[in-house]
Amino acid sequence: MSALTGGIKTGWKEYWAGLRNGLAPMLGKEMRSRTRGWRSPALLSVYLGLLSAGTVAFLWLNLQQVGNIYPQVGLSLYGIMVFGLVLLLAFIAPAVSAGAISGERERRTYDLLLVTRASLTGIVLGKWLASIVYLLFLVLAALPVLAVVFLYGGVPPATVMMAVLLCMITGLGYGALGICLSAVLRRSQAATIVSLVLVFILIFGTPIVAGIAAARDNYDERPVPYGDPDDYRPPAIPWYVFMSPLSAMTDAMPDTGNINTGRGIPLISSVMNELMRQFQPREMREYAMKMGYSTGYVPSGAATGEEKPGGPAAWPFWARFALNQAVLALVSLVVAVLAITPRKPWVRLKRI
Amino acid sequence: MISTSGLIKKYGRTLALQGLDINVPEGAVYGFIGRNGAGKTTTLRILAGLLIPDAGRAEVAGRDVLRDPRGVREVVGYMPDFFGVYDDLRVGEYLLFYAAAYGIRGATAQKLRDDLLELVELGHKRDAFVDTLSRGMQQRLCLARSLIHDPKVLLLDEPASGLDPLARVEMREILRELCRLGKTIIISSHILSELADLCTHVGMISEGRLLRQGPLNEMLAGDRVRKFILRSNGPARAAVEVIEGWPGAAVLNAADEQVEFRMSGDAAEVAGLLKGIIGAGAEVVHFAQTEQSLEDTFIQLAREVQEQ
Repeated sequence: MSALTGGIKTGWKEYWAGLRNGLAPMLGKEMRSRTRGWRSPALLSVYLGLLSAGTVAFLWLNLQQVGNIYPQVGLSLYGIMVFGLVLLLAFIAPAVSAGAISGERERRTYDLLLVTRASLTGIVLGKWLASIVYLLFLVLAALPVLAVVFLYGGVPPATVMMAVLLCMITGLGYGALGICLSAVLRRSQAATIVSLVLVFILIFGTPIVAGIAAARDNYDERPVPYGDPDDYRPPAIPWYVFMSPLSAMTDAMPDTGNINTGRGIPLISSVMNELMRQFQPREMREYAMKMGYSTGYVPSGAATGEEKPGGPAAWPFWARFALNQAVLALVSLVVAVLAITPRKPWVRLKRI
Repeated sequence: MISTSGLIKKYGRTLALQGLDINVPEGAVYGFIGRNGAGKTTTLRILAGLLIPDAGRAEVAGRDVLRDPRGVREVVGYMPDFFGVYDDLRVGEYLLFYAAAYGIRGATAQKLRDDLLELVELGHKRDAFVDTLSRGMQQRLCLARSLIHDPKVLLLDEPASGLDPLARVEMREILRELCRLGKTIIISSHILSELADLCTHVGMISEGRLLRQGPLNEMLAGDRVRKFILRSNGPARAAVEVIEGWPGAAVLNAADEQVEFRMSGDAAEVAGLLKGIIGAGAEVVHFAQTEQSLEDTFIQLAREVQEQ
């Protein structure tokens, strides 16, 4: 028994040492590399340039059309900025991480890493954390641009923090997906392209599929809306919708519901409203409506105190999105570790 | 110190190693000789724990590469034939990064960095970016990297490839220093003359099989076949004809007045051949046995394998 305990202790100690030997130096090296050369400042400039250009264009459009500044301008601007920021980071995250492992192969530094005392898990985690830290850096860099909304008021700091959290949750999952593809596909270019396509599908594809499925179900259950409105139970939102950050967007901008398409708040808020309305399945629209955000048909039963489901289904949308991203990150990182190991466990077991 | 037995490795249908058995004593500098695709790199990658053999066993310092890969990594320093560097790191940072990956940190790592840079004569380049180093300097830096955890065994895959003559001499001097430090080294190389200068033991490999291995002196002295050179006054055509018809002799190189040939047999047979050449009308002005080189031995063994 004591031998077993000793063995477990030694194994844990070795595992921890390997993890540390991989994680700490890799994180340090990656961060050092990312802050050197022209690529990082160039990416940061383009990123902040896009955000700033969007902000300036929005303000210019609104201030051109009306002489007054309405409080809704701040809310609308905030909505647009969070929407743009999350989408931008959702695509930057896999792009940043997709060259992590394949880049080592292409540079021919891969074997040199594998012969060290660093564990593969440590190496992969180090690469992943480095991309997350870089994303955090991008989010923090965007805060001054985001802070423009405080000039107009109406957006509490807690809501902004939720937006930052949403950005980071988005980066965690999609960054890990990039690492996974980088380990599996071997070529950085291929890994980047595939990861961007996959992220596009996850962001826009999942709500669209859910919307189509919900529309079909609605068609099948046509008599229901004509019955007692209190008996109406909207269908559950499919889990895969929460692979998209759009699903959690309403949590990051709950007070932007008074957006209207009246004077002063023209095109963009309408487009956003429509996007959210179209991409989010029915129950989510209802939630958004309850939060006073979106527009559209809301059955009366959905807005009153209906029976609430238990478990993750009762969680707020951002938490369900976080759960899905955590699962995506975990699966992606495990696959990445298995893909890069030169000594596949199944081959080794067979040989021993 | 290093041994393999019945090592087999396949890449798809290609058999890279066909039951390889090598034995490297402690403190030896083992020259691993073979053509491209002979299986040298595959063997070194198996010993470094980067590949799993399909069959057979391999041990490094008493640690089985299959059962104890972590233990093997502790004692092995590996330098691949083609390697890259992190071009956005400085030389000192590069070594500190690998030191940390081996669990060496703080002042120990910094001292080690400085000592190793001195050993490979790159102390003055500590703050230079790695991509500004010449090929030879990068090779030396990679060698320093492979020494960072003070391994007992060094696996060097073509360490002198792509180097100019001066850089080769520098690399050879560093390797000699490592021999003096008591490291057991396996070097695979095509440049056999350099191996002969450096190695204490040699293993010759062809098509995944070991042709011969042993101490270098025995390999050269124990050869059955010797090489001769003959010069004549005028065309050596008559001499060439006699040599080509003589059992156990073969012409290696024939110029107008000079013939190089190899021949097996004792002194009486050599004397008989010389008598035959003179009898055929050749005016011999010079006849001597030349020293058998590692290259000659390898070529001869490779030819024998091909003939079989």
